[in-house]
Amino acid sequence: MITTELFNVLLLVAAALIFARVLGYLFYKLKQPAVIGEIIAGILLGGLALFFFSGQQLVIFNYVISLPTFDFKSAGYVLLAELGILFLLFISGLETSLSKLKKTERASSFVAIGGVLVPLILGFTACVFLDLTIQESIVVGLILTATSVGVTVRVLMDLHALNTDAGSTILGGAVIDDVIGIILLAFVLGVEKSLFDVAWVGIKIVIFFLIFLLLGLKLIDKILDLGEKIHMPKAFLSISLAILLIYSFFADRAGISGIIGAFIAGLLIGQNMRSSKIMDDVKALGYGFFIPIFFVGVGASLWVETSMDLSSYATIAIFAVVIIIVSIIGKIAGCGIGAKLAGMSNRESLQVGVGMIPRMELALIIAAAAISRGLLTGDAAHQILITTILLTIVTTLLAPVLIKATFKNNE
Amino acid sequence: MPKQNKLISDFYELKASQLMDKRVWDLPIIAEKEDIHHVLSILGARNHIWVVNNKEDKELVGVITEHDVLSILAPKHLPSYVFGMPDIRSIQHGTVKTAEDVMAHKIISCNPDEKIIDALMRMVKYKLRRLPVIDDKKLVGELTLHQLIRKYYGATQYHPMVEDEEG
Repeated sequence: MITTELFNVLLLVAAALIFARVLGYLFYKLKQPAVIGEIIAGILLGGLALFFFSGQQLVIFNYVISLPTFDFKSAGYVLLAELGILFLLFISGLETSLSKLKKTERASSFVAIGGVLVPLILGFTACVFLDLTIQESIVVGLILTATSVGVTVRVLMDLHALNTDAGSTILGGAVIDDVIGIILLAFVLGVEKSLFDVAWVGIKIVIFFLIFLLLGLKLIDKILDLGEKIHMPKAFLSISLAILLIYSFFADRAGISGIIGAFIAGLLIGQNMRSSKIMDDVKALGYGFFIPIFFVGVGASLWVETSMDLSSYATIAIFAVVIIIVSIIGKIAGCGIGAKLAGMSNRESLQVGVGMIPRMELALIIAAAAISRGLLTGDAAHQILITTILLTIVTTLLAPVLIKATFKNNE
Repeated sequence: MPKQNKLISDFYELKASQLMDKRVWDLPIIAEKEDIHHVLSILGARNHIWVVNNKEDKELVGVITEHDVLSILAPKHLPSYVFGMPDIRSIQHGTVKTAEDVMAHKIISCNPDEKIIDALMRMVKYKLRRLPVIDDKKLVGELTLHQLIRKYYGATQYHPMVEDEEG
């Protein structure tokens, strides 16, 4: 019966939201990013679903109680989680100001480029050595590129070091490397086989940006004005969300992944005078509903029914350790070299490199997108997903310690 | 009361330039590169500041209201989710140095030839209490709700809506 299934999904979503908030809060209290709590909530809930809510029946004397089935792979849950990704990118786009991006200093651009290239190349090489396919290796390299600046900002605030040169360079750099990461992701998701494809996807991305961003900038005022003339509650919000979904659709059709469309839609609407009006509503929907569903889903996807024995766990452990080490060295070296080239001192360069270590949302999104697009399959997909989750947890826990150490006795 | 209606429709038809505060020298204006402390000292007495590129050209580039300062004066609390570019402007952390760091870039303005009714509608639409009057990017005056209320009330008390003398 369709209805029962649907209501099972609803119950699962409710459980996901509660778990996400409880564990998120716990981690927040421990001064750790709430996102980690939500992923762990997913791991817990995924385990519960597997052992208790996969069609079991509870027999107490003569009463048979059939427990609801929780299925994270059900179409309903997957749709909500995908919307979570779109909201994440949409909000990122909304909060990225093009004019500020243009003003970014040279040092930040150097740091961002170094911080993308070196982890990408190191990660790719390490994976090739560990016997992954070229495609898988590229995805792993990509996962290592994007910095999540939230952790660093919080630590720098505690240290009162936000206004140092290193601090502002890190902030600028992290924003640019997000954008580079998203564009590279579009490439990887779009490229099917040959080198010819790379050029073709590049052209598609440029065309997409031109049409949907530049043309959009011209038309958006008119469209949003129209939205405002309809005197209905939240008409402006509805129109903005429609733009988000339409952009995602066309980006997907263009073969460059829906999430790029979401990001561009965010950038576009963020330029508009009235974007601040919908910001709170979009965040309420995203942060309050769709995004936790995505993070819980990521955690839950750790549990897959493949034949896992001790040796495959050992393989994953070794792989994860190598990748995490590569990710840390990659950022310190890449960003550090970038900072040095931009004329910063050795100490500052190290601070910048260390500050760029944390990975979080974009890494998870890249892994999830690569899996749902079929770039990663089977054991490799599982292995890379676990590694990515461990990578986000380890880097966000380790980075604050390293940042504090390098900023000690800072004048 | 038909007379009242006539009055308000006349009021609507006036031009921004007829009711605006033309005393530009007396408006709260600051150049974008000026120190944040100068912003604070002006806002101690006024509710808002127009930010211009420099005092000679008076090209309007932003506006600072009390509310903008509240967000940099209060201690910063980052939300537990941070995506994209976090807003880290704060006096406590020394990340706001000049007027341009705190100002709002997106300005809603009106031009001197616009009718009062359009200016009022814009104030409603964007929930604003004041509009800069801009002539070719240059700040030539301001239209505040306060002032409009005063002028309209004055008119109901048989004062002329538009003063003959300047200022």
